[in-house]
Amino acid sequence: MTYSTDEMMTVAAARHLANGEVCFVGIGLPSRAANLARRTHAPGLVLVYESGTIGAKPRSLPLSIGDGELAETADAVVSVPEIFNYWLQAGRMDVGFLGAAQIDRRGDINTTVVGPYAKPTVRLPGAGGAPEIATSCRRVIVIVRQSPRTFVDPLAFRTSVGDRVSTVITDLGELRREPGSEELVLTCLHPGATVEMARAATGWTLLVADDLGETPPPTAVELEALRSLRPAAMALH
Amino acid sequence: MADKRMTPQEVVGRLESGMTIGIGGWGSRRKPMALVKAIVQSDLRDLTVVTFGGPDLGILCTAGKVKRAVYAFVAPDVAGATNKNSPVLEGHFRKARQSGAIEDEPYDEGMVLLGLQAAAWRVPFLPTRVGLGSDLLRDNPRLKTVTSPFDDGEELIAMPALELDAALVHMNRADERGNAVYLGPDPYFDDLMLAAAKVGFVSTERIVDTAELLKEAPPQALRINRAFVTGVVETPGGAAPTSCEPDYERDEDLHAKYMAAAKSDEAWDEFLAAWEAK
Repeated sequence: MTYSTDEMMTVAAARHLANGEVCFVGIGLPSRAANLARRTHAPGLVLVYESGTIGAKPRSLPLSIGDGELAETADAVVSVPEIFNYWLQAGRMDVGFLGAAQIDRRGDINTTVVGPYAKPTVRLPGAGGAPEIATSCRRVIVIVRQSPRTFVDPLAFRTSVGDRVSTVITDLGELRREPGSEELVLTCLHPGATVEMARAATGWTLLVADDLGETPPPTAVELEALRSLRPAAMALH
Repeated sequence: MADKRMTPQEVVGRLESGMTIGIGGWGSRRKPMALVKAIVQSDLRDLTVVTFGGPDLGILCTAGKVKRAVYAFVAPDVAGATNKNSPVLEGHFRKARQSGAIEDEPYDEGMVLLGLQAAAWRVPFLPTRVGLGSDLLRDNPRLKTVTSPFDDGEELIAMPALELDAALVHMNRADERGNAVYLGPDPYFDDLMLAAAKVGFVSTERIVDTAELLKEAPPQALRINRAFVTGVVETPGGAAPTSCEPDYERDEDLHAKYMAAAKSDEAWDEFLAAWEAK
């Protein structure tokens, strides 16, 4: 079965979520991967969205964290203030699953500005809840397409601290940071990607693991599950 | 029994240039847009706007009403006709910020929550770990750290109280005394905004008798108490183009015009005319 690099990235990310874990999910790429995991190897994955939906089991991909589908299928719904105060900041999440506009070699994330803060060349949406997701969940997985525009060091603005980032999944491969190590290391390439491609898509000198692995390609089951995930309101567009 | 009914213009008459205004809702959900429209049509200026930002802040920026934005994010939140691929980029705020037209005060969502809570509790700050290590501390001069006076001695961020001169929120139903319920999935931060403010104004889809407030909702949805409310405005459709579930979803046509309106003066005029006609 043929597949796209984005599909490979999503499948690779989904594999990092274990059955039974409690996962705080960002919208977009993280949500797609988390729902794939729930529909394949991790049916007991507890998806928590910022809108206060705990144990959401959406039948179609939510278009936003406030999508009604999330509330309708959740085990419990609490208010947004409660999700921050009592669930996230209190450290009740196993995994935080984030996207990023830019990421550096430490796993720090920028979603605030490109260019100087006072005179930005590009004003990004802002922190949202990412800083507390990044520092409150036990481990953090980041999914982001790899390019010299997204893999940047130093960042113009460190919105979220990367201390708990364990894994970064891209369209080229996977980077990991071992406990105690400062820097992300390329540990795995997706089929068809090369070290040269990964280096060219990285704005710093990329570390590569000695025992660099290759990601197993998506299985037919994974691809089928992924392709059956449709946004709830495609009809809108 | 106090009758607090007002028009949007009367609400704006209670506001002054230079005030700090909290706007309820979240992203493109249940924003008090009829009141925002009245601000756009007024001569108010130099406002500091505290918001979980969507079209409210974007429109006020382009209308030249904003001096300073206090926020954790500004985003349309839901992908739509003009932003198929991105639920996150908001052109009006981006333009205002990149041209230096407004000042800003960036926070994280949980920090804004704590800042409103501190203001509601009338304490100067609340401690939190959220934001430690982030450049939010570097570029937001209002953020400072505080050391726990207890044996742990932990260094924490002191999130300053976000005191509001006024708060504007939109609820599904209200009575004429200012009690109000939400019928959608979330109260957002609306009750906290009102509690953090000196005066509060509620716009609503429909003003009903007090006895009818709980006909459509459980008691815990009666989130807004009249003690926090100075004025009530009946504005059917008053959240458009943002959503006001379950009464209506986001107005995708009008929202698309608003998104496009960041691009040119003509598109802005076209949006204003379409919004006016609602």
